[in-house]
Amino acid sequence: MFQRMIDKSMAKSPWIFHINAGSCNGCDIELVSVLTPRYDAERLGFRLTGTPRQADIVVVSGPVTSQTKDRLVRTLAQVPEPRVVVSLGSCPRSGNVFKGSYCVDGPLEKYTHVDVSVGGCTPKPEAIMAALAKASEILAEKRKEMRQA
Amino acid sequence: MTTLLWTIFHVLVFPGLLFCVVVGLLLAGLDRKLVARMQNRVGPPLLQPWYDFLKCCGKETIIPRHARRGLFLAAPVLGFAALITAALFIPVFSYSVYSTSADLVVILYLLTVVGVSMIVGAAASGSPFAGVGLSREMVAMISYELPFVLVMLAVGRMAGVGTPLGVTFSLQAIVDWQAANGNLLFHWSMIPAALAMLFVIPCEIGMHPFDIAEAETEICEGTLAEYSGPPAGLFRLTHCVKMYVMCALFCVLFLGGISTGYAALDALVMVVLSVVLTFVTMSVPHAVCARFKVEQVFKFYWTVVAGLALISLILVWLGL
Repeated sequence: MFQRMIDKSMAKSPWIFHINAGSCNGCDIELVSVLTPRYDAERLGFRLTGTPRQADIVVVSGPVTSQTKDRLVRTLAQVPEPRVVVSLGSCPRSGNVFKGSYCVDGPLEKYTHVDVSVGGCTPKPEAIMAALAKASEILAEKRKEMRQA
Repeated sequence: MTTLLWTIFHVLVFPGLLFCVVVGLLLAGLDRKLVARMQNRVGPPLLQPWYDFLKCCGKETIIPRHARRGLFLAAPVLGFAALITAALFIPVFSYSVYSTSADLVVILYLLTVVGVSMIVGAAASGSPFAGVGLSREMVAMISYELPFVLVMLAVGRMAGVGTPLGVTFSLQAIVDWQAANGNLLFHWSMIPAALAMLFVIPCEIGMHPFDIAEAETEICEGTLAEYSGPPAGLFRLTHCVKMYVMCALFCVLFLGGISTGYAALDALVMVVLSVVLTFVTMSVPHAVCARFKVEQVFKFYWTVVAGLALISLILVWLGL
């Protein structure tokens, strides 16, 4: 019964950790605006956490530059299972306007499995909210799989 | 046999584990909801701290390579156990379980153990962020301990004038004195001490304007930087329960005389008063203030708050 209660609360309390992998700061500002009173992601239980050790959802923005690549991989390795990776904006997906640059080592898929991807430059807060809600559903499913395995 | 059963009941159910956890989680949820409403938000559901705790129980526990495994895992358990033990000594108005001649001193030390366990856990995790966090936690402890002790001395002197020692540290005696002579909150000489205690509550708990040790925007959650899974959940739970314990301590020290005679009704009154205190001492400053700097906290507590407590102490010692 306790396990089932944990399963249920998994989707209700996803904590977000945000990694900036060379982003232009546009997506980062939109992510913060999701947490402001206007959109209020906290009503779904979202909370921005300061440490990857307590994160459930990792949000990555930026085209993964060669400077941030190693840090990105190391930080992702520090997040405990079950975890969900969300790519925010067009940059981690395709490289956007930075594609082909000598200092861009993207896309993000090369380094980790991406569960949810939001397109846009920058995506609207509504789209980010929808992606985060989807991510918390995936989180609960992953937890169930982990328990059954 | 029945005494053993009663002991188990006291420790696990009524003034102990279950009651503290339920009320603590309720207060933490209410605090988040109230802050959200003050910022014109909808806010998380009332049970959010409960979901957070359960979620942490379902996560993987990572022990960093540089951590001391035993100490790292023992620290949250030690802190939680010390806090529940402290709660056993706080009478729910007239319903006291383990009243001794100096419970106030015991509570003071057990609350320190809770803070120290956090410091020990942070030190054992071997993270530089936790290192910064633990040094800040120490500064916070030094800041609030002085006014806290001064408040306790003032209350002990006021309630213990007639006793042979001239001062009492028994919470039961303090409650009895208030039942006979009126609540300490309404004695004019004790009002500065009550104000000082109201300031001590949020710093002791580490609530927002005074959460220098867990500044998540600056030092990655500080003392909790390396904790994941159930140990992190237990630290969060300790934080919630501490909200109730501190509010209950204030109620007993300054409003101890309003017992109704029925334990269940007393518990209800205690919960209602704790909700009011949570609103006044935690939610409003959280919604209104930005985080203080480390030295600002120290200066504020050793001048303004300690000054308020000292005024009361001097007035009480002069017999006013």
